[in-house]
Amino acid sequence: MTALRRHLPHVSGVWTAGVLLFLLLPLATVVLFSFHASQGLTLPFEGFSLRWYETVLADAELKAAARNSLIVSLCVTITTFVLGTATAYGLSRARVRGRAVIVPILLTPLAVPGLFIGASLLASYDRVGLELSLLTVGLAQFVFVFPLFFVMAQIAFQRLDPAIEEAASDLGASPWQTFRRVTFQQVSPVLIGASALVFMVSFDEFLMTNFVVGVDQTVPTLVFQRIRRTVDPTSNVISSLLLTITVLVSLAALAGALLAARRRGRSLDAVQGLG
Amino acid sequence: MSTALSTPAAARRPRLRLSSAWLAAPAVVGVIVLFLAPVATFLLYSALTGTLYSFSADVPFTFENLSNLVANATSRALARNSLIVGTLASASALVIGIPVAYWLRYHAGRLQKVVLVLVVLTFFSSYLVRIYAWRTILGQNGVLNDTLQRIGLIDEPLQILLYSRFAVVVSLVHIITPIVVLILFAGLRPLEPRYLECAKDLGAGPLMRWRRVLLPLIAVPIASAGMLAFVMASADYVTPQMLGGPGQAMVGVEIQTQLKSLGNYPAGAALAVMALAAYAVLYSLIALGLRLLRLNKIEWGT
Repeated sequence: MTALRRHLPHVSGVWTAGVLLFLLLPLATVVLFSFHASQGLTLPFEGFSLRWYETVLADAELKAAARNSLIVSLCVTITTFVLGTATAYGLSRARVRGRAVIVPILLTPLAVPGLFIGASLLASYDRVGLELSLLTVGLAQFVFVFPLFFVMAQIAFQRLDPAIEEAASDLGASPWQTFRRVTFQQVSPVLIGASALVFMVSFDEFLMTNFVVGVDQTVPTLVFQRIRRTVDPTSNVISSLLLTITVLVSLAALAGALLAARRRGRSLDAVQGLG
Repeated sequence: MSTALSTPAAARRPRLRLSSAWLAAPAVVGVIVLFLAPVATFLLYSALTGTLYSFSADVPFTFENLSNLVANATSRALARNSLIVGTLASASALVIGIPVAYWLRYHAGRLQKVVLVLVVLTFFSSYLVRIYAWRTILGQNGVLNDTLQRIGLIDEPLQILLYSRFAVVVSLVHIITPIVVLILFAGLRPLEPRYLECAKDLGAGPLMRWRRVLLPLIAVPIASAGMLAFVMASADYVTPQMLGGPGQAMVGVEIQTQLKSLGNYPAGAALAVMALAAYAVLYSLIALGLRLLRLNKIEWGT
């Protein structure tokens, strides 16, 4: 009886399998029909073709949107990385009372849904006469993603053993050298992962971006305009490409973090070897 | 370098500490200027006078925007739709997610990492793509209707699949389930399997173990996942437009219309104030409920 039970999957396992199907099948359907030979999005499947991919790759409007998205997301990610690292590092060394005041301020954007942030920013940009453009999109997305990065970076900095930094400065390293060669080395896997997350959230953000986007569209705002009107295979192609980007960025982040962790392990070994 | 070396460590560190909080200054200024000030301005807009297509707002101050909302049957319908959809979607996501988190924590074994990665990947897969996916699946000639007809379960395509509350809720559940699972999984982490074994050895059946051990210990994660799911679902403004039926608009849709198309900022701001106030009330009710049930400060032990 117990032996039999051990070989049967737990009832929650069967449930999980069903939930995974519910989560993944719709995405799989989208990808499948992006290769459809005919215009329709119905079964039976009428054979594979890359014709819709050709259409999409020749789409100038989409290329422009992809360029815009890439520019905005890269700028947002770099700004968030620099400011977020400085902030998390500074606060992890600050006195507790200062932290208790500053951290909640920095985290407030997390508590407000994108819809309300977008609406607020649109009204305010209008008030101060800031015209909607890629700049307003970038500013809005920065506000939105900064807390995400900050939360993760802060945890990473707080977990550090201060003794290692003290050892570095006792051995004559300047504060900057200590930060660059010792502190940063140790937190870099987390920072890399967090940056990838920021990039993905920024690249995919729609609910807020939709309010502050100007004439220059980002990929999600353009996709929204298209799928709002009709259902057609080119939308499936764009969707499949977006899903591919998600998977690739996630895997790259994972690989980068692992690599950094291995390098970090080596450098720590070197330090310990010296001791 | 030599001066640094000759200074005692104790004298060096406080100086560093005093200055280090300033590293946070740019970000704090950024959040205040780029976020807090705009949100405050927008909330203030709800008490200003605006007109259709003016795309601005001005004095005199007025309570008309807010009182209009309360008196207006349309806005009550918007609030009702948001409440229904938010409740259905967040409750379904919890019911779906709790067993998954449980399996991941206690029964997944070697599969744990793989399944977690799949959940995280769906979490990050594009929001619009997922809504689009349901649109192609639930359509009149969509994959679902087609399959059901082929197996012979139905003769005519089901009309209620697309452009209905059903479609809105299903796609929102699809969007929020991954984050709910991840929050609950994180919540179960401190609860070692031996707690459950202990309960089992003491004679507690599966139901008893859920009711007396698991649920009380993850009451707070369940509440926070549920709250987040409710806010995400009820504030959504894309699914009602793309998958919803006539007369099923939600608050977010109206805020978007007022701001982007009609240019009546104060009317949109008033709706936002109402929605945020409703969320604040809901949050307080949940916090109060947890406190009354004494579930807010459960110790995990070690």
